[in-house]
Amino acid sequence: MSDGFDSRKISPETLAAEYVHPENCTFATAQNGFLSATINGTLYKRVILSRSLPLNFPDDYICITDADKNELGIIEHISEFPEEQQKAINNELSQRYYCPVVDEIISVKDKMGNFYFDVKIGDFKKSFTVKDISRSIRQMGNSVYLTDIDGNRFKIEDYEKIPPKSRRKIEPYLY
Amino acid sequence: MQVKAPFDLAPDGGLCNGVLLFDGRTLTAAVGENTIFTSPLRSGELCIRTYSGCGTLEITPENPSDDMSDCLAVCRFSMTCVNEIGEFVKVVNHYIRTGAETEISTKDFRVCPKCGRHYAKGLDVCLFCVEKSYLSKRLFGIAKPYAKQFLFASFLVLCATGFSVMLPIINSRIVDKGLSAEAIANATAVHDIIFYTILLGASQIFGQIFKMLSQRRANKISTSLSSSLRTGVYDKVQRLSVSSMSGKTAGDLMKRISRDTETVKNFITEQGMYALEKLVMFVVVFIILCNISPLLTFLVILPIPFVAYAMRKFWIFIHIRYEKQWRRESRANSILHDIVRGIRVVKSFGSEDREIEKFASVSRQLADISVSNEHLWAMTFPFMFFFTGIGEFFVLYIGGRAVINGAMSAGQLLEFTLFLGYLYQPLLWLSFLPRRLGELETSLIKIFEITDEVSDVADCENPIPAQLGGDIVFSDVQFGYKAYEPVLRDINLTVKQGEMIGLVGRSGAGKSTLINLIMRLYDTDTGTITVNGNNIRDMAQGEYREKIGVVFQETFLFSGTVYDNIAYARKTAEQGEVIAAAKAANAHDFIMKLPDGYNTLVGENGLNLSGGERQRISIARAVLRNPEILILDEATSALDPETESSIQDALAKLVKGRTTFAIAHRLATLRNADRLVVIEKGRIAETGSHRELLMQDGIYAKLVMAQRQTAKLTK
Repeated sequence: MSDGFDSRKISPETLAAEYVHPENCTFATAQNGFLSATINGTLYKRVILSRSLPLNFPDDYICITDADKNELGIIEHISEFPEEQQKAINNELSQRYYCPVVDEIISVKDKMGNFYFDVKIGDFKKSFTVKDISRSIRQMGNSVYLTDIDGNRFKIEDYEKIPPKSRRKIEPYLY
Repeated sequence: MQVKAPFDLAPDGGLCNGVLLFDGRTLTAAVGENTIFTSPLRSGELCIRTYSGCGTLEITPENPSDDMSDCLAVCRFSMTCVNEIGEFVKVVNHYIRTGAETEISTKDFRVCPKCGRHYAKGLDVCLFCVEKSYLSKRLFGIAKPYAKQFLFASFLVLCATGFSVMLPIINSRIVDKGLSAEAIANATAVHDIIFYTILLGASQIFGQIFKMLSQRRANKISTSLSSSLRTGVYDKVQRLSVSSMSGKTAGDLMKRISRDTETVKNFITEQGMYALEKLVMFVVVFIILCNISPLLTFLVILPIPFVAYAMRKFWIFIHIRYEKQWRRESRANSILHDIVRGIRVVKSFGSEDREIEKFASVSRQLADISVSNEHLWAMTFPFMFFFTGIGEFFVLYIGGRAVINGAMSAGQLLEFTLFLGYLYQPLLWLSFLPRRLGELETSLIKIFEITDEVSDVADCENPIPAQLGGDIVFSDVQFGYKAYEPVLRDINLTVKQGEMIGLVGRSGAGKSTLINLIMRLYDTDTGTITVNGNNIRDMAQGEYREKIGVVFQETFLFSGTVYDNIAYARKTAEQGEVIAAAKAANAHDFIMKLPDGYNTLVGENGLNLSGGERQRISIARAVLRNPEILILDEATSALDPETESSIQDALAKLVKGRTTFAIAHRLATLRNADRLVVIEKGRIAETGSHRELLMQDGIYAKLVMAQRQTAKLTK
């Protein structure tokens, strides 16, 4: 690549003005459970956090918006913030993103074009139905995301690390 | 008053079995004995917020703060519960607003009482629990109108088979009688051989004639069945409500109409018709073989159960591998499709090499698994066939010895070995049947999902005539595309006959939704819309919409002539009317400049018209329709200001004297409106003339100022 091209490259610093840091932003959990933020001295009693890259960078590039979805800033890395605030941020994010991790696949039954999964999530046994399986399974590296007919998401952290019996059940549907 | 709904996420994010309860005064959320939330609820409203894979239920106070920080979080739930909680919210909010009790509707979340799973959309059975006979019964239902023809065709196939099985019998007679030492000695051999040869020839000719007749009959049934299936599904697709259609892609619907109906037709005509033949052939041949030699028959049959078991195991194994191959193939096709469609982007970014590598990589992966599967197939199937036919070796050895010992004639041995081929044919057919059945089940379900779906915008039993010449009144209208997300709330509006209403608001405010409700593409959740004093639900949809004209932002031109496209609005229109409509829409001049005038071909295989020209054809359609209610949905938004002003004149002529609803982002386009209705967050925020709204200095005034500033900046 030529030098000329590199010089025109967009630098991540372009977003610098949007980022909030512990110096100009603090987070707290309000009494009613909502996350509040003070950004550049202004208190926002309720802010909503959204991950920009929820699948591969869940802890970075977190957008902060108000109730009307106006963007107030971006958290570059959650880890920059003090532990107590990280807890509040993560708690807020956990309210907005629900994607339980599948530990074991008990069975996958193909019945008339619908796929019926019985899986183990922690100690819970969960059944869900996947329709149009090629569109409902998404792979990101070794992680596999399944979306069921209701719109729930389930994640297999690393399909190479789940028990071989479970792997054999999901493998035919992976690329 | 007592309503309940389940929720499944505990405050710590773990799964739980929680229950929401509203008793008319208090809202409670509990997990078992443990109450996690309780609060009086007599004002304000419940509101659902959905996120990624989950949602929360909140109480919004009557006059919430702008930042919604005074809401109260009630509970969390996964998307499994969202529809049930949505219905719960609807019932509770209705009770708080009106004091009236309503029932929870289960139409969006029917749950199987046996397994607790949700029914697939459109079906009234749980596919997990349904008995196998469900599909076969319905398949018989599809084939029933053709039963007589079908049985006749099967009879013809049987006759053809009957003649073809004469071959081993006649061959055996030639050997035993024609070529016997006795016949040779008596000089009757030639006579016998000529007789049996003629018999053989005649049986083969008759066999072929019956085969030909059965084929003709099969083709007839196949064509008729295919046409009826396709038409049935297509008919239903046309009648589905917009909300049902919006959940399906065009490609998906096309597949169901063409590919899935084809799979069902192929199964009925190819497998169904020959099922009887194969069954009869197997039984008859088995009896003949037993008659010739029970011992040899036993030896032939002996390996079959073992091979069948091995085949079944192999099918399961190879099926998984083929599934994987199919997915890779599908991915390669999807990448190819993407690259071809986006070829201009690929070229403009100079990323041809990257795309070639991407496609080459998936092609390689596909080739690898295809080679591996073919290799496996080639290595396994010959062995399967070998073991299936291993009994033949015993037949030759033991049968040969029986001939030498005089326990069996040479002709009988020949007959036995020739009949073996007839025994294996049905078995081979049976071994492929599970795969065909699997394909059939999937296709049938996809078809039933369409044909069984009950339209959520249905006509009433005794519709009243659609008389649209009168005021249009919206009373307490509330509507959401999903039960849990209201898009329009508390809409109360009276539109006088002949009035032009300009609908104004930000994107997503609910303007197009209001238009959809006027056209009755959806029914309101609560409240009514009346035209001329009659509820639009009491009129037949077809007749009602016939009296409404719409000009959309994008005009779709069907493949055909310009004339056909204008006359689409009214098929009975005379030529003069079509030309007059085009003139009124300022379209006549450009049409006359086209090579074949009104006969010029447009659409996918014809001439490409500009946006302005298309829009004029759309206006001409509306003029020809002569509607009582006119809807202009961003009719000129896609056009440049110059083209827009030339079309405005045609629109002004069209609007005159008709009740009109117009949406336009360019507010100047609505300057001729009698009244403007500003919609904000699903509610009517302001109404009045342009001047009145400017004086109010509210949302409309701000929008106008913002547009003026943008216009200044772009100058």
